[in-house]
Amino acid sequence: MIDCRRPETVDELLEIIDTGKYRIFAGGTDLMVRKRQWQGAERRFEEDIVFIEQIDELKGITEDKEHYHIKTCTTHRNMEKSLVLPECIKLPYRLMGNPAIRNVATVGGNIVNAAQVADSLPLLYALDGKILLKSKNRSRILTVEDFIKGKYKTDIRENEFLHEVIIPKIDITGFRYKKVGSRKASILSKFSVVFLYGMKNDKLDYIRVSIGAVNELPVRNREAEERFVENRDVKEFLTAIRKEMEGTDDKRSTKLYREEVSLRIVEEYLSEILRGDSYE
Amino acid sequence: MIVEFKLNGEDVKVETGLAMRLLDVIRNDFDLKGTKEGCAEGECGACIVFLDGMIVNSCMMPMNNVIGKEVVTIEGFSKTERYKEIEKAFMVEGAVQCGFCTPGMVMATEGLLKLGISLTEEDIKVGLSGNICRSTGYEAIYRAVRKLTQEVVLND
Repeated sequence: MIDCRRPETVDELLEIIDTGKYRIFAGGTDLMVRKRQWQGAERRFEEDIVFIEQIDELKGITEDKEHYHIKTCTTHRNMEKSLVLPECIKLPYRLMGNPAIRNVATVGGNIVNAAQVADSLPLLYALDGKILLKSKNRSRILTVEDFIKGKYKTDIRENEFLHEVIIPKIDITGFRYKKVGSRKASILSKFSVVFLYGMKNDKLDYIRVSIGAVNELPVRNREAEERFVENRDVKEFLTAIRKEMEGTDDKRSTKLYREEVSLRIVEEYLSEILRGDSYE
Repeated sequence: MIVEFKLNGEDVKVETGLAMRLLDVIRNDFDLKGTKEGCAEGECGACIVFLDGMIVNSCMMPMNNVIGKEVVTIEGFSKTERYKEIEKAFMVEGAVQCGFCTPGMVMATEGLLKLGISLTEEDIKVGLSGNICRSTGYEAIYRAVRKLTQEVVLND
């Protein structure tokens, strides 16, 4: 028999995870499926579980001057309906799963799972998103990029949990987002492209390009982004990104399709900027 | 442990595990078989119920996340006036063939109608995007929902 715990506050949660190895359970849209068993049987968890969905302190989106703060149990629905967040953050959440899943799936869960196909990861890479991890005796802030170590692998320690996501506010002049899957809803991405850019005094100030689900980790190359702002060389940028792609064929797509099509989409976005097309 | 929640308007208690699925509890412990198990992974929507007024897939809902909340299944919803309007629209438009997806479709339809706003074609498709039907080809269902958005929502 596994032990299931149900803390009502963050302090209680921190005490519980400090005592032993618990698997943290939020919305359940991934874990309930990954641990599936036959009808009528309890899910097949190997380790003790601590549920956190009932902790009200862990829900909600706030902002200060420089950051958005998104608590871990905030649902995808809360994200898509948020009055605080800009559209470029809301859109990827609006396209994940389906309405019944988005009502339940949490922001923290999508990150901690660290699935190759997690659609929030390329977004958070592009936005230089950070996370606050808490344990009984300490807190630490990591970039999402440093936190995600590989497919289903993160830097989380046994007595820690992800408390909130912190997204720095930046001046975004325009953005593009493309999720490609074999249908529109209830689908895991073949790949996704997040594209942001900023202008200052009518000059291109920055671009950010992040591609999800091609590699085990999202692809982002800051040096190439900086070089593009200087030389506007689309080919050079694409070559730099292509060098980092190391995907494999799997049931959702092939390496060739993912790399070719995602790069063509990036090419189109970059060309749009060079042509001076208007962005929303 | 004993889990307490509200089911179709009544306070209920059930001896179960916190990691048990809400789907199994409503079907087996309460013998409410209108909620179906299809894919068991959140894609088909046959197991949709309302949890505190929002549509959720009961196949991926642990009992822990139900404690103290209100669950309405198709059996509970079928006693409302709104259900009768949805049932009629589905019948008139031929939106039911084998019927397995229908309870979930009806719940997702109500999830849309209760927004109380006029719905675009895109809203309807997104609203039902978590429900799979392998027989009607969806068009009859969309017709029924379109009709409801015109008749029900705008007259409310």
